Amino acid sequence: MACELNFGWTATIGEVVIGATKADGGTRRLSYRIGGGTTLPFMEDQAGSPSPLIALEICDYLPFWSPIAKNYCGDMTNSVSEWAKAADGTYGADLIRLYLTSTRQRNFSDIASLGKVVEDVLLASSLPLIIEGSNEPKIDSEVFQKCGEVAQGERLLLGTAEAGKYRSIAAAALAYNHSIIAQSPIDINLAKQLNILLKEIGVQRDHIVIDPYTGALGYGFEYSYSAMERIRFSALKGDSDLAMPMICSAPDSLTIKEVREAEPAVQDEMAIQWEFYTCLAAAAAGAEIVCVRHPGTIPLLRKAFADMKKPGAAAEVR
Amino acid sequence: MLTVTFLPSYRKIDVERGITILDAAQRAGLSMNVVCGGQGKCGKCIVYIQSGRVEFDRQKYGRFFTETELQKGACLACEATVQGDLHVVIPESTLIQEQKILVEGLEQAIDFRPSVRKYYVELQPPSLADPSPDLSRLLWGIQKSGGPVAEKMYAPLEVLREIPYILRHSDWKVTGTISLVPGGYRLIDLQENDTSKRIYGAGVDLGSTTIVVYLWDLVTGKVVSVASNYNKQISCGEDILARVNFARKNGLVKLQALAAESINQALTTASNAAEIDREDIYEVVVAGNTVMTHMLLGIDPAYMIAEPYVPVVRRALSVAAPRLGITCNPNGGVFLFPAVSDFIGGDIIADILACGMSERDEISLLVDIGTNFEVVLGNKEWMFSCAGAAGPALEGGEVLFGMRANPGAIEKITIDPVTLDPKYSTINGIKPRGICGSGLIDLLAELLIACVIDRTGRINMEINHPRIRKNAHFPEYVIAWAKETEIGKDIVITENDIKNLIMSKASVHAACVTLMKEAGVTRHDISTIYFAGAFGNFLDKKNATIIGLIPEIGIDQIKNIGNGAVVGANIALINRRERKTLDSIAYRMAYIELNAENSFMDEYTGSTFLPHTDLALFPRVQSLLESCRVKRE
Repeated sequence: MACELNFGWTATIGEVVIGATKADGGTRRLSYRIGGGTTLPFMEDQAGSPSPLIALEICDYLPFWSPIAKNYCGDMTNSVSEWAKAADGTYGADLIRLYLTSTRQRNFSDIASLGKVVEDVLLASSLPLIIEGSNEPKIDSEVFQKCGEVAQGERLLLGTAEAGKYRSIAAAALAYNHSIIAQSPIDINLAKQLNILLKEIGVQRDHIVIDPYTGALGYGFEYSYSAMERIRFSALKGDSDLAMPMICSAPDSLTIKEVREAEPAVQDEMAIQWEFYTCLAAAAAGAEIVCVRHPGTIPLLRKAFADMKKPGAAAEVR
Repeated sequence: MLTVTFLPSYRKIDVERGITILDAAQRAGLSMNVVCGGQGKCGKCIVYIQSGRVEFDRQKYGRFFTETELQKGACLACEATVQGDLHVVIPESTLIQEQKILVEGLEQAIDFRPSVRKYYVELQPPSLADPSPDLSRLLWGIQKSGGPVAEKMYAPLEVLREIPYILRHSDWKVTGTISLVPGGYRLIDLQENDTSKRIYGAGVDLGSTTIVVYLWDLVTGKVVSVASNYNKQISCGEDILARVNFARKNGLVKLQALAAESINQALTTASNAAEIDREDIYEVVVAGNTVMTHMLLGIDPAYMIAEPYVPVVRRALSVAAPRLGITCNPNGGVFLFPAVSDFIGGDIIADILACGMSERDEISLLVDIGTNFEVVLGNKEWMFSCAGAAGPALEGGEVLFGMRANPGAIEKITIDPVTLDPKYSTINGIKPRGICGSGLIDLLAELLIACVIDRTGRINMEINHPRIRKNAHFPEYVIAWAKETEIGKDIVITENDIKNLIMSKASVHAACVTLMKEAGVTRHDISTIYFAGAFGNFLDKKNATIIGLIPEIGIDQIKNIGNGAVVGANIALINRRERKTLDSIAYRMAYIELNAENSFMDEYTGSTFLPHTDLALFPRVQSLLESCRVKRE
């Protein structure tokens, strides 16, 4: 499109650094500075407009994971190190998002084992790392402390803070200089409220990534989209409490009826397409990081992002 | 028949098996605290079975009781049914008690021009030389003693029938009572001899909870007494909706009678206090919400509570008192305030009259908070109004230890930001039994300032303090230890209570903002915010701003008009010109249906934060909170 779009936006999205290289005191081979945009994605000229990053989601305990992703990856999923290595090498992800699903077992208390898992993943891959802690308030604090401590200096992105539970994750992030995913249920006001709460207990703006909560395409994604759009518009108009990068993950994409009940022969393709279009839409709404569980989605997204950045090419995306 | 004996009053009532204890109590004339209208939802109607058999599901309602209460035979009066002769103890907290009611006079100077007046005349008896009819003779006499022009006065048939006898029996010395009515002046009463000093009128606030009556001497223009009592309709349901439902089940006649009885009781109390005869009350002016007004008129309110929410009548009405069962002078009239819609009733028109906002150039915001709230924004040229459900939290409902503004309610609280210990005062200074609305607002603001709660109202459980703890379900803060209280239980506020309060305050604030956006004004354009209703008068203005109940403007720009309904009724009683403006106020006011406003939900979510998600709307509160936080760190 050749038309000049001017919305009168004056503000810039804040930047968040994920991953620390040796020079910055970590062990990652690269580090990302996300955010910094001054308009919507795929609208600027190529210069200064990085593509959204793609994170592959993996986990340390399989019973709570999508069988489609598990079957596709095969035996490697039994070793979180192997899986992380493949995410970096074979699958070509930009980031690894590690879910500590083992904490969801009943009466889980082996906090030490989590430290080991995090260490293994850090050793197996030198990509910057996102870690999802437990969903259990009782052990939350210990889990985040452990992850924060083991990965001190690595500039992790820790997830997920919500309005009802943000103190323990913030404490770990503050203590070990990591960043935080702040998730609110598809609402601009609630997103802003959580950012203010985090700010008030000392978390700096450049350590927060907004998760607007993403439903799979056809399963509420349109709400996420409009919430994201409003968040981004407000930020660009100067609301600094919303001027953070966004992360989107729609794991439902692999469990919805259409994918779950697809013919075995086309199930993988169905899963990939669903994830692909969900993530593509999320990227168009402004997400700086999109997360996938099916490795097959990654190359499609990468190509689409590259194509969309070519002037006039947006309409041609498959 | 079974006999139920209520203790401690030993009131007895014979009832059939299977009726609820609540019904039995109502039949025995005992008014109980039934916030939910007897649906087993509020847990406020706790009674103790001393002896006898009841049917009651303790499992289902167990959450309302402590272990000790259960051992003492506690049950909910609305859910327990009588299965044998019973002795039931009704604890004081369950009975409806004397409430703190606003009774204050007028602050503004209103011209004294009542619409009923008495004229004493001494007439020349007729003769062959002057054979004019009795009526002409009387009306001429009244005109000569300063009354209206004779041709503009008329007498109804009932009075005409009496005229010849009264004139002759009194030796042509009579007192006529003239009332201004839409068609002219009406001779509503004729009495023998000089009774011209005995003419009174009443301004009435017909509230869904309380009735307030001001009795005025219409000769001197002074208030002679004030009385108030509960609306007896409470026995048919605590809230309006419950009563409308009661009306639908053939209860309208009873509700009409109870409304009239409630007014009569207040009139009687006021008359007795002033030592006057109720027959000398010639006019009663009633301001009530639309549903209450319909019920007093005996008009079915059922079509107001469902879409498209249509009232039967909204204009001002004058009705002969006996037709409504109001016991004043039998020829006396009742004037009822007009309404804007089913939700903006005569009480709000009365508020507007009381604060005078419809006569000024400056823009004012009027907020009347009860279980429902009404908000009016405007000036002499335009007005917008809206109404919504605030939920009962601000009045003490849906809050574990919430209560109405009765004796023993904690009404003011401060919390020491260092020790986190509270200081509180209660109504009547007795040991605390619960917290009322003004106390809850204080509590919310103080907990926020002390950083015990965050801006979403969640209690910071990382604070190690005996007052901050977790009960079976929610974190809570202890305001008063059991030993300090009247009820022998720790009085606490739970995170859930706080959530309910925030939802209530958010709906009020969102309504204010919705009207402001509709009118295109900002908080800087508002010259005055008026709080109406009993709730407003005891409210700490600063704390109300801190929690974001209302838009932030200067504290000295916030005014309490107290019971605006009765003030407005009084104004309409003593000044007939003001009364004439009422219909035009009602008709020119636009009503905004919040349900139909797309932006309302958004404003609401934005308001569910202390004070608000958009901190720029509350710059002073924001800097106050920041300085508090710095001090704490």
